[in-house]
Amino acid sequence: MKESKIQTYRFRTNLLLILFLSILVLVLGRFFYLQIIQGENLKELREQNINAFEYIYPKRGRILSRDGVVLAEDRKIFSLAIDIEQKPSGESMKVLSELFPEKINLIDLKEKVSNSLRYRRSEIILEKIAQEDLAKYLVRGSDLRGFSVIEGYEREYNAHPSIFHVLGHMGYINSTDTKYFSPRIENYDAKLWRKVGKSGIERVYEKQLQGEHGKKYFQRNARGDRRVTTDVSPFQEGEELFISIDYQAQKLAYELMDERRGSVVVIDLNDFSIPVAISTPSISANDLRDISSAQYQDLLNDPSRPLFNRAFMGLYPPASTIKPLLTVFALNNGYTDWDETIFDDGFFRFEEEERVFNAWREGGHGLTDLKKALVESSNPFFMNLSIRYEKDLFVEFLKSSSFGSKLCEDCYPHQFSPLIDDNWKYKNFGKELYKGDFINLGVGQGYMLTTPLHLSLISGILANKGNYQLPFMVTKKSNTLNLAENLTEDDWKKLNDALVDVIYSPNGTGYRINAGGLMLAGKSGTAQVVDINSREEYDDVRSNELLRDHAIFIGYAPYDKPRYSIAVIVENGESGGRVAGPIAKKVLEELLDDI
Amino acid sequence: MIFNLRNTIILFSLVAIILMGSMTIYSVTSIDVNYFLRFLLINIIVILAVALIFNQINLNRILSFGWILFIGNILLVLSVEIFGNEINGSKRWLDFGFLSLQPSEFMKITFALFVIQYLRFYSFQFTRFRTLFLLAVLFLSALPIIIQPDLGTGLVYILMGLMFLFICGVNRIYFIGMSVFAVLLSPIIYSFGLTSYQKGRITSWFSSDQNLSEKWNILQSEISIGSGGLAGEGFLNSKQNEFNFLPEADTDFIFSIYAEQFGFIGVLLILIMLACFIGLTTLLSMTEKRLTSDLSPYYIGTYCTLVIGFSFLLNILMVSGMIPVVGLPLPFFTKGGSSLLCFSIMLGLIFTSRGFLR
Repeated sequence: MKESKIQTYRFRTNLLLILFLSILVLVLGRFFYLQIIQGENLKELREQNINAFEYIYPKRGRILSRDGVVLAEDRKIFSLAIDIEQKPSGESMKVLSELFPEKINLIDLKEKVSNSLRYRRSEIILEKIAQEDLAKYLVRGSDLRGFSVIEGYEREYNAHPSIFHVLGHMGYINSTDTKYFSPRIENYDAKLWRKVGKSGIERVYEKQLQGEHGKKYFQRNARGDRRVTTDVSPFQEGEELFISIDYQAQKLAYELMDERRGSVVVIDLNDFSIPVAISTPSISANDLRDISSAQYQDLLNDPSRPLFNRAFMGLYPPASTIKPLLTVFALNNGYTDWDETIFDDGFFRFEEEERVFNAWREGGHGLTDLKKALVESSNPFFMNLSIRYEKDLFVEFLKSSSFGSKLCEDCYPHQFSPLIDDNWKYKNFGKELYKGDFINLGVGQGYMLTTPLHLSLISGILANKGNYQLPFMVTKKSNTLNLAENLTEDDWKKLNDALVDVIYSPNGTGYRINAGGLMLAGKSGTAQVVDINSREEYDDVRSNELLRDHAIFIGYAPYDKPRYSIAVIVENGESGGRVAGPIAKKVLEELLDDI
Repeated sequence: MIFNLRNTIILFSLVAIILMGSMTIYSVTSIDVNYFLRFLLINIIVILAVALIFNQINLNRILSFGWILFIGNILLVLSVEIFGNEINGSKRWLDFGFLSLQPSEFMKITFALFVIQYLRFYSFQFTRFRTLFLLAVLFLSALPIIIQPDLGTGLVYILMGLMFLFICGVNRIYFIGMSVFAVLLSPIIYSFGLTSYQKGRITSWFSSDQNLSEKWNILQSEISIGSGGLAGEGFLNSKQNEFNFLPEADTDFIFSIYAEQFGFIGVLLILIMLACFIGLTTLLSMTEKRLTSDLSPYYIGTYCTLVIGFSFLLNILMVSGMIPVVGLPLPFFTKGGSSLLCFSIMLGLIFTSRGFLR
């Protein structure tokens, strides 16, 4: 019995000892794995634990006009934040709230501080401190431990409303922005950006303007307390961007519009850059920066649509201003020549459909040839021409005049003038184009719609004898397009003469512009308000004034050696020659004065 | 005391472990050398004092108080519920002003003393009733620890208690039965609240502000261990400790800091010394010619040796991510009065039972 007890004891103790040694070997194996095999990896993880970095937000690039005026730049601002390394004491919170009684509430401040300390996040108490407040703070600085002034940047725009639509604005990034920028900017990391360009140049050139973040490397402990800053790589400021806008002319154009709705677009025919592109009414770009959502809604609901960029987005019937372009079409395809005459009695009778179209002047223009039809703007002449148009050739011509395609890569948002063909009509009316449609199209009414930018380009095409390039503000896209190979030098000269006579002959519709020495050539138009892009939204606010015709003018100067082409639209301005023309004259004078 | 080679190795290993433990504690908690010396001194004094006291007292005299000590200990554990200091949501410490004690730590010892006294009365003759009685006492006495809540200490207490009954010769049928029962029952125990309870305890343990998960602790512990590499970063060079990435670095996770500082070589050394100490001490008892009619000193001695050994391994298994995190102290490393006193008493019992110092 005794012996068996001893044996059991020895056996079991040995068993336990073997168990102990087995576990010990297992442990040793585990440590071999962790320290020898995984050692380097785990050491790397330790370095990641300790060494962290934070981003330094970059300064966004400036935007300047071609005449050197700063249109947008990042301005340094100071904000007051909670310093989580030095916890703010109750005393310093009290002092701070007494220092800025109307801006800081002690109870709110206490809550902010406790939240900030709990989540180890340096919260901002006062954003954008004014100079005098900053001075007030700095004087009491020693009593205010636990708070610190941090630097940041804020976009500051030239306050003039004329530049808002072209420049666009910045706003807090959202998923739409991420979707927009991801394919356009390499390795786009949406998390790094707070505000991004929402429209205009700010959006199109986000990549160039945004700059690159700097990095501040530091060592931190497990609680995230910063210990030592080990290295700093400074941010890279965004590129400085010169845009083709001529600030003086832009400003003048806006002021000439004098609170009327409309748009002026000028194209520099040297390179097809855009020195003027305004849309009225507008707002100062700074107004959108700190706006509340209610105020933003008000702006969106404003019937005059100040946020809508008419220059690149507004669609207007070109009316008579399309006649010179269609003259090019008719001559190119041999539908008429400079000698053909018709008798204009103020009506056009379309016999096939037994319809009668009234022209704008009662009694008509009498015996009319192509030149007279242009100078005095005879509708019957062009209606008579238009029934000869062949559908395919017409659509082809519109296409080569950039209907239905994007005109300008750096205009954002951008709308193209619709290409009126069978597809378009099917989509909108369920029928194909028929002859009668061409009678309206032939005088720039009916379905025909163009943007002011496109009208200005059409004017440029005429001035440049059918050769043209796509307009731009920053990046030139140089491939020359041509739309009328069959026109002779003589044809172009006669067309030019006709457009000069519009302005300088007493019969001309633009004679009252009194263009004087400007050497202006052009064509006026008066568009019936049948349909504009935003018709539905206008419906409920339509008054008599809003039913008035749109005044349109296109032109170029100087006519012997054209430098600038222009399009002016004054919504409900009634007379292209009398209302839109003088604006074009003054803007072109300003631009040509600089040369 | 006989200074033969074996005894010298045993003592050398023990002193080396205590010294390394004190150095590591110092490297974690303070850069003040006085603090280190004081800690080392207290450590050695307490161990020596306890060992000497127990050596002077006849083991038989201690054993005759077995049941009183055991019941007293259970009462102390229960009193923690009333007088205890609550630390991080768990009540397990009794504050004596100069020292705060965790009575549950001592249950491992007093249970063994109680069992010996009980079995001695019956000349170590097991009947089914006596066996079941001892098992019932073990499991029931674990309850106050588990509800503290301190699942880790409770489980270790049960495991060590079972080990003691195993050493004492309880029929192996019971252990086989309990193993089968435990395997079958574990899914039920697992699904009935143990996990959420355990989780809640662990998060309340380690989090002050942040939501630290058990996983994060283990990752940080493995990072510390792995960063040591072969040779270690050197004494006082633990970056994981410097930047506070390892929670509980001065208590349960101290071995990770040791591993970061002294590398695989350091780990190997300390495990060799542990094996020497545990192995040689245990073997000693079995080769001893004086195995007499009363085996109780050998039961106690072997038990205490293996408790130290397994506590060491369990803690290292925990910090190296091989078992779940349960709060287990590392003998002679962990800063804390209870564990120091507990393991010192065990050393004293080992020496007393072996007659080293005689």
